Amino acid sequence: MMHLACIPNLVGGHLGGWRHKDAFDRPVMNLEAFIEMSQIAERGKFDCVFLADGNGVRDMDRPALFAANHPSARPSFFEPTTLLSAVSMVTRHVGVVATATSTYDEPWMVARRFASMDHISKGRAGWNLVTASNAGDALNFGRSEHMGREDRYARAQEFYEVVAALWDSWADDAFPQDKASGQYLDPTRVQPIDHSGAHFTVKGPLNISRTPQGRPIVFMAGQSAPGMELAARYADALFGAGTTKQDCIDAYADIKGRMARYGRSPDTLKILPGVSVFTGRTAAEAEDLYLELQSLISPALGVHYLSKMLVHDLETLPLDGPLPFDDLAEETLGGSSLRRYIIDMARRDNLTIRETYQRTLPALGGPVFKGSPTQVADEMEDWWRSKAGDGFTIMAPVQPRGLSDFVDLVVPELQRRGIFRREYETTTLRGHLGLPDAPSRWHSEPEKAERGAA
Amino acid sequence: MMVLGFTGGALGGHLGGWRHRDSFPTTTMQLQCMVEMAQIAERGGLDMMFLADGNGVRQMDKPALFAANSPSDRPAVFEPVTLFAALAQHTSRIGLVATATTTYEEPFSIARKFASLDHLSGGRAGWNLVTTQYVEDAKNFGRDEHIGRVERYERAQESLDVVRALWNSWATDAFPQDKATGQYLDPARVRLTNHRGAHFAVKGPLNVARTPQGQPVVFMAGQSEAGKELAAYGGEGLFGTASSKAQAQKEYADIKGRMPKYGRPPDALKILPALSVFVGRTRAEADALYDELQGLIAPSLAVSYLSKLVGFDLTDAPLDGPMPASPGESIGGTAIGRSVLEMAAREGLSVRGTYERVLPSMGGNMVKGDPVEVADMMEDWYTGKACDGFMLSMPVQPRSLRDFVELVVPELQRRGLRPPEYRGASLRENMGLPIPADPFLA
Repeated sequence: MMHLACIPNLVGGHLGGWRHKDAFDRPVMNLEAFIEMSQIAERGKFDCVFLADGNGVRDMDRPALFAANHPSARPSFFEPTTLLSAVSMVTRHVGVVATATSTYDEPWMVARRFASMDHISKGRAGWNLVTASNAGDALNFGRSEHMGREDRYARAQEFYEVVAALWDSWADDAFPQDKASGQYLDPTRVQPIDHSGAHFTVKGPLNISRTPQGRPIVFMAGQSAPGMELAARYADALFGAGTTKQDCIDAYADIKGRMARYGRSPDTLKILPGVSVFTGRTAAEAEDLYLELQSLISPALGVHYLSKMLVHDLETLPLDGPLPFDDLAEETLGGSSLRRYIIDMARRDNLTIRETYQRTLPALGGPVFKGSPTQVADEMEDWWRSKAGDGFTIMAPVQPRGLSDFVDLVVPELQRRGIFRREYETTTLRGHLGLPDAPSRWHSEPEKAERGAA
Repeated sequence: MMVLGFTGGALGGHLGGWRHRDSFPTTTMQLQCMVEMAQIAERGGLDMMFLADGNGVRQMDKPALFAANSPSDRPAVFEPVTLFAALAQHTSRIGLVATATTTYEEPFSIARKFASLDHLSGGRAGWNLVTTQYVEDAKNFGRDEHIGRVERYERAQESLDVVRALWNSWATDAFPQDKATGQYLDPARVRLTNHRGAHFAVKGPLNVARTPQGQPVVFMAGQSEAGKELAAYGGEGLFGTASSKAQAQKEYADIKGRMPKYGRPPDALKILPALSVFVGRTRAEADALYDELQGLIAPSLAVSYLSKLVGFDLTDAPLDGPMPASPGESIGGTAIGRSVLEMAAREGLSVRGTYERVLPSMGGNMVKGDPVEVADMMEDWYTGKACDGFMLSMPVQPRSLRDFVELVVPELQRRGLRPPEYRGASLRENMGLPIPADPFLA
């Protein structure tokens, strides 16, 4: 079965998405709109909704782009674990996946928020572990510079190990809560973690009992070599990015191939490349939507946007000339995987600056599936069968129209083909994703096995 | 108007509360218990539900006390801001006050999660600023030793300043979201925080729009000299621990008297001493509940609990001998511990006499009686300028909260001490606090 996540951001995935007549009128801090999106996703039997996040206001040095807002800027947004805790009160099945960074947060705090969310949602919580790629966020946490990638990933790995150990603090049966005897908890069924490493010293145990899923589900998104390695070692799911099917097939084989050395079966990591879906009842309707949205963006804004994505000013260059590839060759601190994808795409397809921004607007340079429901389902099935992914992270250009069109038009087609669930079969995100039970140090104890047998 | 909140621990406030037949059958990570209490309290028009919090598992070195669980240990509880985000969807009026520590959290993260909660709840969020009194929490954040009180309070004040500056990042009208012109936000209506101080450097702005009540309400609980000063400087609600009216009056006058030098009217801070309420339809019913609960606690467990509260070991002290004085001011010494010792000294209590007083209310003030007697006591303190209201602690949950709402609240309303219904949609309005001015409109 195919797995589907969606990004229910209210401004849509297209730079002009929020301005479309079918877009939410007031997306800023609009809880009701977000609940509507989550309920649409649940109606479509999505595995989970997923919220990207950052800890800073971006693009203030580019006032025109700042004022226009773009889908990954998020100048004002709910803190995601609080939002998804709220959303889990008005949904019953759909997984709720929030982002938190290992670079500026403490492992104790992250372990606790996500364990809390897993209890609140009754087993639907996921943590998207990021190392934060936006350099400016550092300035909100007392640092003058962003941490380099190697440091960030070394820290991320240790961070994950501490969080996972904290989630294992308590045995499943640690809280008898026996009114008659007065025994609330069993002191022999909890242990400190006593972690002491290069980046963190954490005694533990966590002050939350073992969660409904054993552990919340861990997502990652890094596409760099250290990111892929960390995912192969520890991630339960991966938000992939790739501009082409071949990119995704290569990345899929690469990451799954790295898992054996950590003693993991390839099946225990679900890779969900991001795709933007433009659909309608017909191919013409999808095309109209696409053109409408492209026309909402002036060249000046388009170039601003591309300049930001590439971390390089392009405003003074001819619109119909090539990108300055030589200047772009250097790695930038904080430059994301996306930056490299866009540059590679422009070089490969010999694009002008105008063509590059036009290709970047609808999906941040990621793949676009555009057409009738059958055409979109064809592409999804083809990618899935070609092992470009275990499913997809669906973005839509205009919300809520994009998601509801996908759910009403494409999902039934996938279901008809027998490649996507018709009903939820479980109540947990772990169950939806078909992941094995979470390991626990308490489960491997002989005394526990004896108890279970008795 | 008297301000009323309650402490939302599902265990109840008495050490034996969770074992009582009228308590929740199970409480560990039971969302439904929390929803039920929030809804009962909202039915009674209480201004806020409050959750104390810490970042550590306590008493692991005292297995008997650890296993019995005490109301202030919280070995397994929800992270309070995520919990309140969920409860906000099950309630519409009651304030939601969560604890976060300035000692181990970054001001940006604190500002963001409470701003988020304020939006999610339509203006009902409160932040209880603590500096963390529990020494062992340090070991979950890469420190071998707890930070000393002076440094904790300096850091707390700076953190509060940064958080408030972050909450002032955006003008109320900063997001036109104009589809026709393409202007989503107005860059002239946001500003950088640009804070550089002894403990924090934060550029800002916050990535959350100005919140429904302007800023979440800031609560504090510190009773030390530094704590009182910080409350006078920037607190809007203060949880107290006074165990007598005279003590409460003295603290009330002291703290309110410190406010003018910060340019604040005394009314801008609501002082809410803790109050444990044992109520029944009759006095006999209240007495019976009290006796039942006291009977659930063995002397050895009680002594262990008292030792924990005062911060030194009493196991070897004779049960019926005088309560020993503290061997010295400890770095993690708490307001509750000091209050208990003061009470014992003032009243010449034995160890047993002290723990009997401590079990029901952790040494804070307690009232026991029929609804009229309870209301009398509350009115007496309120009109006597001992407080602006109370932070209620309920011995057995949900029974005690329900009894309070059904029996005492109507009596307070009849006396005009409580409004017939919520006065507004936000926590600020219900507490009678002003909405902070939008600095962009000033």
